[in-house]
Amino acid sequence: MNRNYILLTVLMLVLAVGTLFLTTDDEPKQIAPEELLQEIIQPTRYVTTDQVAKMIIQGDPSLLMVDVRPAAEYDEYALPGSLNIPLEDLLNDGNLGYFGVPGIKVVFISNDDIRADQTWVLTKRLGIDGTYVMKGGLNKWMQTIIEPAQPNADAPSVDHELYAFRKGAQIYFTGAEAATPDGDNVEVQVRRREKTNVAAGGC
Amino acid sequence: MHIHELNPWRTLIAVAVFVVILAIGFLTMPKPLFEYQKSMDESIEALLDGEDYFYPWELVDVIDGNTDSIVLFDIRDNFVFGQGHIPGAENLSANTLTDPDNLERLKALRDMGVTIVLYGENELQANGPWMFFRQVGFNNIKLLLGGYEYYKANEADLAATINDDAYFSGFPRFNYAEMAAPKDGSEINADQDNKPVQVRRREKTSVAAGGC
Repeated sequence: MNRNYILLTVLMLVLAVGTLFLTTDDEPKQIAPEELLQEIIQPTRYVTTDQVAKMIIQGDPSLLMVDVRPAAEYDEYALPGSLNIPLEDLLNDGNLGYFGVPGIKVVFISNDDIRADQTWVLTKRLGIDGTYVMKGGLNKWMQTIIEPAQPNADAPSVDHELYAFRKGAQIYFTGAEAATPDGDNVEVQVRRREKTNVAAGGC
Repeated sequence: MHIHELNPWRTLIAVAVFVVILAIGFLTMPKPLFEYQKSMDESIEALLDGEDYFYPWELVDVIDGNTDSIVLFDIRDNFVFGQGHIPGAENLSANTLTDPDNLERLKALRDMGVTIVLYGENELQANGPWMFFRQVGFNNIKLLLGGYEYYKANEADLAATINDDAYFSGFPRFNYAEMAAPKDGSEINADQDNKPVQVRRREKTSVAAGGC
């Protein structure tokens, strides 16, 4: 047998053995750090409590709220329909399968927005799209939706429209009663016009 | 008869050329600007530990110039920075973070063992960049709790904020359940609440596509 063929065979064997020493990578697929930074510095991931409230009320099927607080806090109170994935369980139990479903908007919710934002950065690192952060978190939710503050009388009309929406949302989420003006309704006295003449017939 | 058997040296030459090309390829491979130094698990771990924060009352030393092992970086944009910033802070807008000059400086500071404190308008604004740098191996970067807003509000007496806890994030400020309880007295979470929706899971696109 030719010496060269032996040489090549040996080379191939050496390369094959070499592949055994390649480091196995347990890490899931990730985007490049530069890409991640570009995503991070854009503020497009934030949604307001009003937008979330509107989507819940309208029954938007593309909304998936993910509550990243610890399970105990979630049990105490959570937004209707939200799913609990505490930060420490993010990578466990196939929880990542909830994210990145085409057409589904995932909104992360925490007490304020820090933990939700941290979860967002982590999911982004895994290359998951379609995730958002509810700005202000549940604290803001309480201030804006559950107990909205009335704008001043001379505030711009958009503020009043927003307030009207929030009052409606408050009723939706808490079952609060619609505010009625103070005092009993004044009964309106209707004076009928008296007939001036009796059956003034025609012709 | 095969051509290689005519001249035994041909094979060796071909193999040598092949190896040289591979070596050149590896040596000239562009090195990525950043690489993740922390795995996903480690990142989560670090976040749960709640370390690597810088507290507002620690700013006193920095502002008075008592320490040269801490540098403040303001990641807000140049215009806002010009309107007011923490004394001694340098401006490093978020979108210039990866400029070669800035990166050089960050690396130099890291090698000198200087602690870098990032802050934005609030904690949220600096949170992303802070997490990013922690993940790519800048272990000397800390995040200022409360951000510029908190600093501005307590500028007069920063040392006193050691007893304050308003800058801590992640805590409920209200009793949610009580606040959001139905006003007619009916039980909250009675029926439809808190039942996780059924969600379509993402299907696996390919089965263990390995290979080179």
